[in-house]
Amino acid sequence: MNKWYFSRRQLCIPYGLFLVCFVAAPLIVIIYYAFTNGQGRFSIENLSDFFTSPNTIGTLAYSFGVAVVTTCVSLLLAYPIAYILARSKMKHKTAVLLVFIMPMWINFTLRITALKEILTMLEGNLSYYPFLNTVIGMTYDFLPFMILPIYTTLLKLDNSLLEAACDLGADTLRTFVKVTLPLSVPGIISGIVMVFLPSMTNYVVLDMLYNSTYIMGSLIGAYFAAYDWHNGSMIALILLLIILIFTLFTNRYADEENGREVHLSGKENM
Amino acid sequence: MKRRKRCNAGRLLRLSAGLVPAACAAGAAVMGAALGQPATAHAAGKEDVIILRVCNWEEYMDLGEWDEEERIELENGVSILGERPLYKEFEDWYRETYGKEVRVEYSCFGTNEDLYNQLTLGDTYDLVCPSEYMIMKLMAEGQLQPYSEAFYDRENEYNYYVNGVSPYIYRTLSENEINGESWSKYAAGYMWGITGVLYNPEELSAEEASTWMLFHNPAYSRQVTLKDNVRDSYFAALGALKSELLMDDAFVSDMRYQERLGAEMNDVSPETIAAAERLLGEMIDNSYSLETDSGKADMITGKIVANYQWSGDAVYAMDQAQEDDFYLKFAVPQECTNLWFDGWVMLRDGIGGDVQKQQAAEAFVNFLSRSDNAVRNMYYIGYTSSIAGSAGDDTVFEYLNWCYGAEEEDDVIEYPVGYFFSGNNEDEAYVITAAVEQADRQLYAQYPSWEVLQRSAVMEYFDADTNKAINRMWINVRCFNISEVPVGVWLLVLLLVLAALGVRYSNKRVKH
Repeated sequence: MNKWYFSRRQLCIPYGLFLVCFVAAPLIVIIYYAFTNGQGRFSIENLSDFFTSPNTIGTLAYSFGVAVVTTCVSLLLAYPIAYILARSKMKHKTAVLLVFIMPMWINFTLRITALKEILTMLEGNLSYYPFLNTVIGMTYDFLPFMILPIYTTLLKLDNSLLEAACDLGADTLRTFVKVTLPLSVPGIISGIVMVFLPSMTNYVVLDMLYNSTYIMGSLIGAYFAAYDWHNGSMIALILLLIILIFTLFTNRYADEENGREVHLSGKENM
Repeated sequence: MKRRKRCNAGRLLRLSAGLVPAACAAGAAVMGAALGQPATAHAAGKEDVIILRVCNWEEYMDLGEWDEEERIELENGVSILGERPLYKEFEDWYRETYGKEVRVEYSCFGTNEDLYNQLTLGDTYDLVCPSEYMIMKLMAEGQLQPYSEAFYDRENEYNYYVNGVSPYIYRTLSENEINGESWSKYAAGYMWGITGVLYNPEELSAEEASTWMLFHNPAYSRQVTLKDNVRDSYFAALGALKSELLMDDAFVSDMRYQERLGAEMNDVSPETIAAAERLLGEMIDNSYSLETDSGKADMITGKIVANYQWSGDAVYAMDQAQEDDFYLKFAVPQECTNLWFDGWVMLRDGIGGDVQKQQAAEAFVNFLSRSDNAVRNMYYIGYTSSIAGSAGDDTVFEYLNWCYGAEEEDDVIEYPVGYFFSGNNEDEAYVITAAVEQADRQLYAQYPSWEVLQRSAVMEYFDADTNKAINRMWINVRCFNISEVPVGVWLLVLLLVLAALGVRYSNKRVKH
């Protein structure tokens, strides 16, 4: 009897097909549209259009502003929670963690609709604070994505390192700044990536909270609604590149920190 | 007074369809596959089944499943109950009437632009239902298949459309032309309406609400909403920009008033676009939000006092608010209003010269235009059907009476709708005796008075260059201009960058 088994290469075929159909092919289409004009000829007009218009650059800046502020607020909120949860000796840690993660299980448009009512109660008229509301909405949406990675990194933290710092005479604050914080950087980085990138483009939150200013996502949509696929594709491509650069930068940083961790644990073994 | 009672099942269905728009198309496809099977099995052979690919707005056709208590009993003896989706019932009707099998593949689109993009990407449909400007665009591009002569044969009793369409709608469709061809050759009216202002009479007067300047009125700053699409917003901006001219007595009493009004409301000169850009910027700053759907809920919950609204959605909002004893009203700006309609058009690529298929597509339009089906759609969707009913068939008018007719002798008005049903507004057969408040509520929104329609204008499609310019204008209005960034923020950014660099540099120094 012949035994059937798949080689590793064969196992890759389904994903490879997926990759070609849904990642590579659309990307090629986007690049094609980005560098052609209405007549189908090669053109870099779309590129220069983007960088010469104060409105598109302004949109980029605005999206960046929303994303940066959301990320900072999320980080400031998430770190203490993750720290307390990870370091505490509570019996039902997971249950408490669940409370923070649970909102993720509810459809996010529903959550934002509820948030809208709460904010209306607090502010009266939502239209006066579009930026603030957007940041609150985004933070509400993306906070769990910041808590989880930080929590996991802190959980993995080797207690003996903290004991060593203590033995060598460092007080609690010093231990935190010199040991805990640097070692949790990989978690922080992945948290930042997971919050920063979606908050640059998630225009549903803006729409639902009545912020009529476009961000990158809505700008792309506006161009497509005007049958201008060329400019729309170019902006999508620019956004893609920004995200790529951002990811490369953070990856390098995370690697650096990972290296240090390995280095440290190596020392310990000696 | 009889109150319109909308079907709850339908409401739930529509709510869920609204939350998951994609489910609509998917659901229709699955249903089509599941229910279509037995019909196919009964047919002589697969090749005998005509497949009709229909693409319609979401929630824009009665999908049946009414409760028995929702049955509409009209005074002319007609009893209406939606049991199954209309497009499924069409399959049976077609088999009984023409002895042929047809299967409808029903799918939905979200916006006219989405539909156009889908067509450009190569999706083929036989019959679609876009708005007037998209019909014009498709007509101008030669994408549409004209209706056959048989479709306009008034002698054929199954030609419900040509026999039943309102004279007013038919005349509007016939009088407007693209490249020398009238719209009625390519389009069959489905639903129609106007744009206006839904307002809370406790907060502002009818006069204040009856002008496009309302959206620029500082007294209601941040309490009014605009529409989140370029065409409606541009129309409002034009109305406000030209407010003085449009209400000028000399202009209104001009012999060629309608023609001139149409020209003014289709003004796309660069200067006008630039002026509209400035004004729209101010109007948006003065508004609570730009919305497509949320304005109705915000009116009902009292977050806003006035809402730029399409007539059908206004009817829906007034119905909903009424359930909580909250009475909203509808006003039509004195300057002018946007007359719009959605119509069924056949696509040349889809039909592909197939005579049988075209006949089935035309039969589908006729089936939807049968007066009882028109009533079912009106009940389900809330918009106004283009169908008035053929001679001797008063079903649509009786439905209006069922909705709005008042019994009491006091506090009633005589509301003429003859312009719609017989083409003559003096026609005494078509006067509704309605409660007095209906003059500026649901009835007024659903069947605007003849006087209002005098100041209505159709907004035509923009050609490629104009479209680009107007959309650029809209994007400019919506985008955050980099020059608006305050100096303080720039300084803060600079400081943060310096701080970050400083931290990194000092870290390195410590290491070495």
